[in-house]
Amino acid sequence: MSTKDELQRIEMLQGTLDLLILRTLLLGPAHGHAIAKAIEFRSDEVLQVEQGSLYPALHRLIKRKWISAADGTSENNRRAKFYSLTPKGRAQLDLETRKWDKFAGAIARILRPAKQENES
Amino acid sequence: MSRDSKRHLSDLESDIQNHIEIETQDNIARGMSPEEARYAAMRKFGNVTRVMEETREVWVVRWLDHLVQDLRFALRGIRKSPLFATVVVLTLALGIGANTAIFTIIDAVKLRAIPVSNPQQLVIFNWKARRQPDFKGHSSFGDCDYTKIDCSLSVPFFRSIRAQTSEIFSGVTAFAGAIDVNVAGNGPASIAHATYVSPEFFSTLGVPMVLGRPFTADEDTPSAAPVIVLDYSFWRRVFASDPNVIGRSVRLDSTSATIVGVADPRFTNFTPGKFQDFYMPLSMVLQVRTQWWDSGNRLYEPDSLWVNIVGRLKPGVSLEQAQAVATTVFRNDTIHGAKPLFKEADDPRIQLLYVGEALHGTNKQIAPMLYLLMVAVGIALLIACSNVAGLTLARSAHRQKEMALRIALGAGHGRVIRQLLTESVLLSTIGGALGVLLAVWGVKAMTHFLAAAHDGVFQYVVEPNARVLAFTLVITFLTGILFGLAPARRCAQIDVNPALKESPSASPKSSHARWFRLGDALVVAQVALSIVVAVGAGLLVRTLQNFRNLDPGFQTENVLIFGLTPTLAGYTDAQNAQLYRGLQERLSMVPGVLSVSYSGEALITGSRSSTDVHFDDGAPNNRTNVDVLRTGLNFLSTMKIPLLSGRTLTPADFATAAATDAAWHAVERVHELAEKAAPAGSAVPFETVNAAPTPVVINRTFAQTHFPNQNPIGKHIGEPDDPNSPRGPGYVVVGIVGDAKYYELRDNIQPTMYVPLVGNGAYFELRTASNPASFVPAVREAVSAMDRNLPVFGISTQSEEIDQSLFQERLMARISGFFGVLTLTLACFGLYGLLSYEVAWRTRELGIRMALGAQSRDILNLVIKQVIVIIAIGLATGVAIALGVTRFMSKVLYNVRPNDPATIAGVAALLAVVALIACYLPARRAIHTDPIIALRHE
Repeated sequence: MSTKDELQRIEMLQGTLDLLILRTLLLGPAHGHAIAKAIEFRSDEVLQVEQGSLYPALHRLIKRKWISAADGTSENNRRAKFYSLTPKGRAQLDLETRKWDKFAGAIARILRPAKQENES
Repeated sequence: MSRDSKRHLSDLESDIQNHIEIETQDNIARGMSPEEARYAAMRKFGNVTRVMEETREVWVVRWLDHLVQDLRFALRGIRKSPLFATVVVLTLALGIGANTAIFTIIDAVKLRAIPVSNPQQLVIFNWKARRQPDFKGHSSFGDCDYTKIDCSLSVPFFRSIRAQTSEIFSGVTAFAGAIDVNVAGNGPASIAHATYVSPEFFSTLGVPMVLGRPFTADEDTPSAAPVIVLDYSFWRRVFASDPNVIGRSVRLDSTSATIVGVADPRFTNFTPGKFQDFYMPLSMVLQVRTQWWDSGNRLYEPDSLWVNIVGRLKPGVSLEQAQAVATTVFRNDTIHGAKPLFKEADDPRIQLLYVGEALHGTNKQIAPMLYLLMVAVGIALLIACSNVAGLTLARSAHRQKEMALRIALGAGHGRVIRQLLTESVLLSTIGGALGVLLAVWGVKAMTHFLAAAHDGVFQYVVEPNARVLAFTLVITFLTGILFGLAPARRCAQIDVNPALKESPSASPKSSHARWFRLGDALVVAQVALSIVVAVGAGLLVRTLQNFRNLDPGFQTENVLIFGLTPTLAGYTDAQNAQLYRGLQERLSMVPGVLSVSYSGEALITGSRSSTDVHFDDGAPNNRTNVDVLRTGLNFLSTMKIPLLSGRTLTPADFATAAATDAAWHAVERVHELAEKAAPAGSAVPFETVNAAPTPVVINRTFAQTHFPNQNPIGKHIGEPDDPNSPRGPGYVVVGIVGDAKYYELRDNIQPTMYVPLVGNGAYFELRTASNPASFVPAVREAVSAMDRNLPVFGISTQSEEIDQSLFQERLMARISGFFGVLTLTLACFGLYGLLSYEVAWRTRELGIRMALGAQSRDILNLVIKQVIVIIAIGLATGVAIALGVTRFMSKVLYNVRPNDPATIAGVAALLAVVALIACYLPARRAIHTDPIIALRHE
């Protein structure tokens, strides 16, 4: 696999990961491990997040002011960062979700044209 | 890295460890062994180091990356158009360099703190009273601004202050000087500058010694053996930094003194621009003093005001507190002292001022000139900026497509602006670096030039420091932003679609017109400003020329001048006269010397003597002031001042003058003795001086003013009555000579008498057959053959003296000339850029016209018409401003009116010609446009 392809794949993954984080935080503030667990759990363990890659993504989102971080205490009684969605992040989530729906729909139409025809 | 990002990153590591910990716990709960659980958790997390790096990069990489990217773009842009970059960098280097140079000198002259420890604690004593007291002596050395305050005080008062104010001041010191002292015993005899100081001078200021020790209190007593402390630069210059100099003795005037110390190099003087070669205790005023000071004892007379007093305030003591205490001491001394100077009603007071505010020195002459220069170079930098802005604007027109493309590809407007600004700041930084090099050279040249006007020494410490560096950095960045902002803003306003679709040559009129309004204005401003500067320069150059072409009334070429003050070396008047005659004879035998004479002052050196005379046909109390020049034998023929009628002074005339002078002094001495014998307060009349009137030669103006319509030869000129001195027999006119300039070139010719010189210091004049400077060794040899210990000073040629007296005119003509040429050149760059842009813009249109049969002349017309209009507007504006501004120059002009039509027309013509030359290249390019290439231009 060429470097270029790999880059594209990571780009994709990153964008998707950002979206998933935003969606998870819609339920309320959570710390890093909880977010990773939630993503795994809610996708029926289909999506295995490489947990480390969560952190650059979280910081990227903080920098874009889509989420904010606050100090809190985790279940094992340690100090941990809790991340929560900002209003800007909520709007972005809406936008991204719609985009994703469109994208997924389009891909789906290309991949399963017969089914679509059947349905309509 | 921003503070924000630091805050976010601070807990990253513990957060990650926590994450792994929780995962481990989960794994254990699922039934794994602890090691297994930990291993699985870590594997699931991935490479911790890499994660942390990546997270950190989220915050760092973006702006750093962009900066590197911008710089790389900028460099590529510069490489792509080297001519543009060169012109911009050179223009800015000139502008920034000139500003840095002038600021460096202003910094040295005005802003530098006195190089002593805690200078803000030092105060200088000034006195005030309702009435001027009768002092025996009052001397000042140019430390304070005497029009406002008086900082000369007596030594007894200094002693009182020192004894009575130890709770207020941690130290008090007195000093006075510098005076000229004849130094011998170390190479050839020379004149050096010496400052009297009290023994606590160095400890009060906190100036350490690099060698030896400071003065002790014992050494400041009249009976002490004379000792001196050398100034560092004098030690280096004259004693070649000899480490064994301590203990050596030198001859000062007619005493011998021992060197005890060498002062630290950082301290030169309190007062900016002043310096000394060595220090001596106050008490040495008894042995070493100036030739003008009377014989009184300046150490004990409360009415001899001659020292400056500086005190160091103790911490916590306020200025007002100290002032009150000092005033009490002053009143006590001067009202109730042994010799009262004031009455209670005179309200004598002491005013304390911080030394940094009160001591001005030569600042007062140099500073206004420097501020004027600073304004001039500031304007030059503005012109440079507007010029570069014009060039950048023209260039940016070509880059519209590039910028539009970037914006279309998603670059934010802010990002594009930042990239353009990076480019301009990069250019200005290169320009600034080059400018600093220029400034180093410029400062050298300027200090050299300024020093020439002040005895060859520029007494200010000029060195680059943080303040100068900060100044240069700030103007460099401001310059970069100033000239980059207009084009950058314009690029950011680009409407993407049309800019991308259309080629520049077919671009809509709207953006073209918009650029032109700004660009035209910039060029008009440049042309106008450069006309103003050039007209000013032209007027100053004409003034200098007028001075140069002025007939001073004598021949200035091939005259060598040097000074002697035998009185300092202990000569009497009679010995003086003998020495002068002997030297005159000896020098006239030197091969190549045509004629030798001497005079009390040299001509056109900015000094003169004058005296009051009384004309026999005038009212009894009538007195008229006339200029007097005391001369040696053959002075008029040596200087080639033409004799109009009568005769010049003969040896017999000199004998008469000497006899009359002796008789006058005898009467004065008799009177002095009689006054001492008489009861106090009673007036003793002078006896009559029984001697012949002194023979004199007068100039034409004297004859015309005071002897109109009569033959002055043989006429008697009387001396006015003066109750304080004997009345001399007056003068008799023996000849009339042509008018010659005396005081300075600018001066109008005054009625002048040439009187035989009897005694006192004198300047020698040698008329030589060839380059007068080559006779200096012969002069030194001749003088030292007469007396080894007699220093020769002030050696120069008459032409140098005239140059010196025209110092200000030369400086202004040279600097304004430089800026005239600079601004003119800048304006030409501006025009060149404008027209190049115009031609490039219209290449396609021109090609079509030529293909349709337009002739070269039509094309030329088309292209140049607009430029001519702009030049014309600029010229008109410039001339109008110049007419308004040059009125303020009338004071510094000579024989040329501020609105001199020839100068203005000349400058306007010059600018028009130069501007047209600047247009030549682009115009040629337009004419030689190949229609086929032009049409294929896209």
